[in-house]
Amino acid sequence: MTKTRVAVDVGGTFTDICIMDEETGAIRIEKTASTPDDPMRAIMNGIGQADVDLSGVSMFSHGTTVATNALITRNLPRAAMVCTEGFRDVVEIRRANKEDLWDTYKDVAKPYIPRRDRLTVRERVDAEGRVLEELDEAGARRVAQVLKKRGVASIAVCFMNSYVNADNEKRMRDILKEEMPDIPVSISAEIMPEIFEHERFSTTMANAVVSPVVVDYVSRLSDKLADGGYARELLLLHTGGGVMTPHAVRDFAARLAGSGIAAGAIASRFIGNLCGFPNSIGFDMGGTSTDVSVCYQGEPRITKDWYIEYGYPIRFPSIEVLTIGAGGGSLAWKDEGGSLRNGPQSAGADPGPACYKNGNEVATNTDANVVLGRLGTSLAGGQITLDPELAEAAVRRTVAEPFDMELHEAAEAITRVANANMANAVRLLSISRGYDPRDFALCAFGGAGALHGAHVARELSIPTVIVPPNPGVTSALGCLLVDIQHDFSDSFMSAASATDPAALEAAFARIEDDARSQLDREGVAPEDMLLQRSIEMMYQGQWRSLAVDAPSKITSIEELTDAFHEAHEREYNFARRDAPVSLFRVAVKATGIVPKAELPRVEATPNEPEPGQRRQVWFDGEAHDAAIFERDQLTAGAHFTGPAIVEQVDSTIVVPPGMRAEVDSYMNILIHTKG
Amino acid sequence: MTDMTRDPLDPVTFEVLKNSFITAVDQMSEQMLRTCYSFVIYNRDFSNGLHDAQGNSVAQGNQDIAVHVGTLHFTCKDVIRVFEGEMMPGDVYAINDPYAGGTHFSDVRLVRPIFDDDKLLGFSQSNGHWSDLGGSVPGSFDVSARDMFREAVRITPVRLFREGEFCHDVAGMIAANTRDPASIIGDIHSQASATHVAEREVLRLVAKYGRDAVLQGMDEVQDYVERAVRQRISALPDGTWETVDYIDRDPGAGEGMIPIRIKMTIKGDRILYDFSGSHPTISSIYNSAEGATFSAVVAGMKTFFPDLPLNSGFYRVIDIEADEGTVVSAEWPIAVTGFLMPFEKIMNAIFEMWSKIMPERAIACAFNLEYLLAGGTDLRSPEKPMFMFYEWLPGGWGGRNGKDGSDVTTACFGTGLMSQPNEGNERVNPTRTSEFQILRDSAGPGKWRGGCGVQKTSVLLESENAVMSYICDRERAVVWGVEGGLPSMPHGLSIRHEGESEAKWLGSVFSDYPVQTGDEFARPTAGGGGFGDPLERDPEQVREDVIDDYVSIERAARDYGVVVREIDADLCEYEIDRDATDKLRAEIRAERLNWARMPPEEVAELYRKGEIDALDAVRRYAVILDWDSGELLEKTTAQFRESFETRSVAHWS
Repeated sequence: MTKTRVAVDVGGTFTDICIMDEETGAIRIEKTASTPDDPMRAIMNGIGQADVDLSGVSMFSHGTTVATNALITRNLPRAAMVCTEGFRDVVEIRRANKEDLWDTYKDVAKPYIPRRDRLTVRERVDAEGRVLEELDEAGARRVAQVLKKRGVASIAVCFMNSYVNADNEKRMRDILKEEMPDIPVSISAEIMPEIFEHERFSTTMANAVVSPVVVDYVSRLSDKLADGGYARELLLLHTGGGVMTPHAVRDFAARLAGSGIAAGAIASRFIGNLCGFPNSIGFDMGGTSTDVSVCYQGEPRITKDWYIEYGYPIRFPSIEVLTIGAGGGSLAWKDEGGSLRNGPQSAGADPGPACYKNGNEVATNTDANVVLGRLGTSLAGGQITLDPELAEAAVRRTVAEPFDMELHEAAEAITRVANANMANAVRLLSISRGYDPRDFALCAFGGAGALHGAHVARELSIPTVIVPPNPGVTSALGCLLVDIQHDFSDSFMSAASATDPAALEAAFARIEDDARSQLDREGVAPEDMLLQRSIEMMYQGQWRSLAVDAPSKITSIEELTDAFHEAHEREYNFARRDAPVSLFRVAVKATGIVPKAELPRVEATPNEPEPGQRRQVWFDGEAHDAAIFERDQLTAGAHFTGPAIVEQVDSTIVVPPGMRAEVDSYMNILIHTKG
Repeated sequence: MTDMTRDPLDPVTFEVLKNSFITAVDQMSEQMLRTCYSFVIYNRDFSNGLHDAQGNSVAQGNQDIAVHVGTLHFTCKDVIRVFEGEMMPGDVYAINDPYAGGTHFSDVRLVRPIFDDDKLLGFSQSNGHWSDLGGSVPGSFDVSARDMFREAVRITPVRLFREGEFCHDVAGMIAANTRDPASIIGDIHSQASATHVAEREVLRLVAKYGRDAVLQGMDEVQDYVERAVRQRISALPDGTWETVDYIDRDPGAGEGMIPIRIKMTIKGDRILYDFSGSHPTISSIYNSAEGATFSAVVAGMKTFFPDLPLNSGFYRVIDIEADEGTVVSAEWPIAVTGFLMPFEKIMNAIFEMWSKIMPERAIACAFNLEYLLAGGTDLRSPEKPMFMFYEWLPGGWGGRNGKDGSDVTTACFGTGLMSQPNEGNERVNPTRTSEFQILRDSAGPGKWRGGCGVQKTSVLLESENAVMSYICDRERAVVWGVEGGLPSMPHGLSIRHEGESEAKWLGSVFSDYPVQTGDEFARPTAGGGGFGDPLERDPEQVREDVIDDYVSIERAARDYGVVVREIDADLCEYEIDRDATDKLRAEIRAERLNWARMPPEEVAELYRKGEIDALDAVRRYAVILDWDSGELLEKTTAQFRESFETRSVAHWS
């Protein structure tokens, strides 16, 4: 029996199951309706539908929204926090700033753990790590008893300066465990050992509140899969771009927050690398929003500044994804100053665009694309039919009449504003980080990505657009092609000039030991372990650090500071080579390599396909007689020049006039925006 | 103004340019945030702007601090005034002049002309709050200054880069006049690179859309905002609204609060703010020059139009009148470093007036910003470095129509400003914090209570020659409630000197106060004012506040007339005694008018005897005292009571 690998991506509407034959690399996709009350049901349904024999599965990986949804909906078990006396409100005070600076009626949400459940105990460690006051054991026990009485399901322990000395936090955990052996306890020094109490406490709080939810889900799913015959560890995709085992989930549950969003970015990186583009921009456009991510030299851009809800940072390294309110359903409107706007309001899935015939009369991007002929009127293999007259009426009413434009001019205006807005989002994530879009390929996926991708790429002078074979289910592919990965870090605050390379080497060695034992517990063989060091530095006096790669054996600090100057120059356009540099933090990315199956590669035979049909499609104010292709009739090596449209079940691809398109040997369509 | 002979831009080009201008400015912010040196900037006390060739504001950053809005165009115009005709590509100028439309000396703006070949297209401007600009005290906030000469270095427009070449002589001179020269040079590079980011973006737009379209776009986005504002104003009824808010005192004069009077008139699509009758400048730094006053008006108004973009189009709709030489129209060389005190009064006064016009956005008074500056020698390490610490705390915002006030939020002059981490403080400065938490009972009672304030208490560690300054207000002009809501509490810092058991009240403003190792200082911040009659607050909400310890059982009874009993604190079980509550509420209702009009000297006597506390004095009796001695402040109390009658008493049923 051939072995298969299975990857599952759970979305809001659909659960996608991606099944790969390990021998041939052939992939098939099963789509099933999601079951938000218990996502596991949809997974098991899909596996049933797809007729997967779990005993023949060699790897089962899963991108889950369970943690994200629990945090967004606040459907969380009662959790508590134990703090240093005087500091129970760190997570409520936050940094005190607001997301919306001007709207006095829009507040930052309250912390996940309310004030009544944040208790304190006497203890204190100073900034140097000296214990000024031992943990008050009697007080600690009293707190444990109160929490037991309250029946809390999870506890966060968050003490001041614990990042330099965790003894008191650990002792507190021991006492809690003695009173409540079965209740998970997250201590801040282990969850996120870094300076700045709010960020550390907030991460620990998020970890504590999602822990019971996630652990329950993961163990139920593991059991179910084991019952079905799956004999390996379930792998869960985390926001850092790797997978982790249920064992690690028990300790770092909040790493799964944002898991779903990461999948798209990982897939985009994979496809970019496959096509020979180590620099790629992921462009995942759906019905209400677009996710943009950047992959540079084969690695996704990572950030530690992110959150599920504003004000409550989760400092686990995460793939940087910028989400903007632009999707197929985004509404076009004229504002009171007379400007043509696009989004962020959206018609969503219901009522959806005007052409969906559900009563919306305001033009959306989808309606504009229908009017322009770019989008056909029969989608999803004929399951959905769109009404072009309703689309036309909406575009006339919303844009053509108010702005005194012709119908097609108006429709094109809508798409051009949308494309420019999306291009601005890409610009914020690329140009303003020092990357030149001309060195990148745009990987377009999601239901609407390929409709707009070529135009957005042209706007940014990106030379190539890649459209993967199944743009609508690309995220599931992302879950299939990842390694086990963990991130470890520790504070290392010291002036570069005063740093002894041996001390730095020792600091790295310490966290590498932790990293190896973590991977070891997850069953990774030593030869499959890959440890990558990085170090965060800043100009002395600066307030934000910049990470640069560090060698596997530290011999010279100067080497590191040189790399820092260079990175600063690239990222911020200036460097101060004569200014003193400080070290801030050491980090290790620990990877447990999971052997990859190869995607099937077919021989590309250059050919010029005959379009199945032709129709009128509008570009730049003119009607063009455009070729319409069916994607599954295009073979590797097929090439053609726009204007052309490629239709497939889950997406539509637009090739504007003059652009050249080709199908590569992995069945991706590459569009060359410069013709 | 748009040239009427041109055809307008097509809607797509216009919308794309409009958004691209904002993106350009947002990219500047991103650049600054990641490269700045001054921690004040890092915590988001900065702003960025794009200007047309006349210096008018075209776009401002989405997350910029409120206090800088409406001032960037003034400083840009002043740079033009000085350098017109001699500007070159690659030049960058600096200015921090409050008398030329800036805010205070700490806000240093770098301005770069943007050229396409030899045609001047416009300017980019980056404004950051530097950690020190010299003057007599660390952080450059000397509250006892009477004029600018002991405040800080005044930078009238100077050239910092000449055709891309760094003018190290000028930069060096500025840096040499500060306590933190290395950071200052770092910030100059950071801000100059931010202005470069906008230049690059504007030139990209020129390459794509053409020079004329970009220039026209700069005009049209201003017209666009102007049109939108005028349309909203026209839709409102014409009318006149007026109010008064106060600064606590003039240290050079006797007791009595300093009025800032505003009369607002809406007529057609214009708005006039008339400050006639406001007090002459006072002998402290709590004066505001015209530019900063204009900014306060814009910031206050923008709060009621949160979705509208800000640029000079917005400003064209507003007219301001003020007498010469008042606290809101100070001129050189009057000290204005504390301009945020009049600034926030103006903002809150505008909140009050607009709350009548737009009840759906109504809000009571917010706490007053406060900041502590300390400096000296840090003895914790053998090098004995100088330390300088400058910190602000969040507090509560006013209760709202149908919603409690926002708890622990940055002061209204800049809601994007972040509070600082204690762990950072403790590493860098010889201080240790023993508490930083929400202050129970700090919120102004109301049907919708104000947001809660906080208290931070810290001890000074091994140090010498240390001094402390504190800049705050509303120790007397206490944060007020509206629509029957009650005031919150007086601001003020207390200190317990090493070896003493009693803390000493230092109040809300002092400068250069010597402090020693072991001294412990406690800073409470006020909550927001209450909205609506507290006796109408749902007792269930009061009980919830008691469970979370936002409100004590004692004050639940005194302020809300709600009798809550503890059943089991371990299980968060508390119950409301309904009968006792009804009875108590009836008693308070019957008595409260008498309390609010009780002879002030009798109230002062009760306070001195310890029978009532400061919260009772302001919330119940509307009496303002010297909170240390208990001495009655007669004139202040009369002023306070006048406001209390209209904002609170008049709305009680």
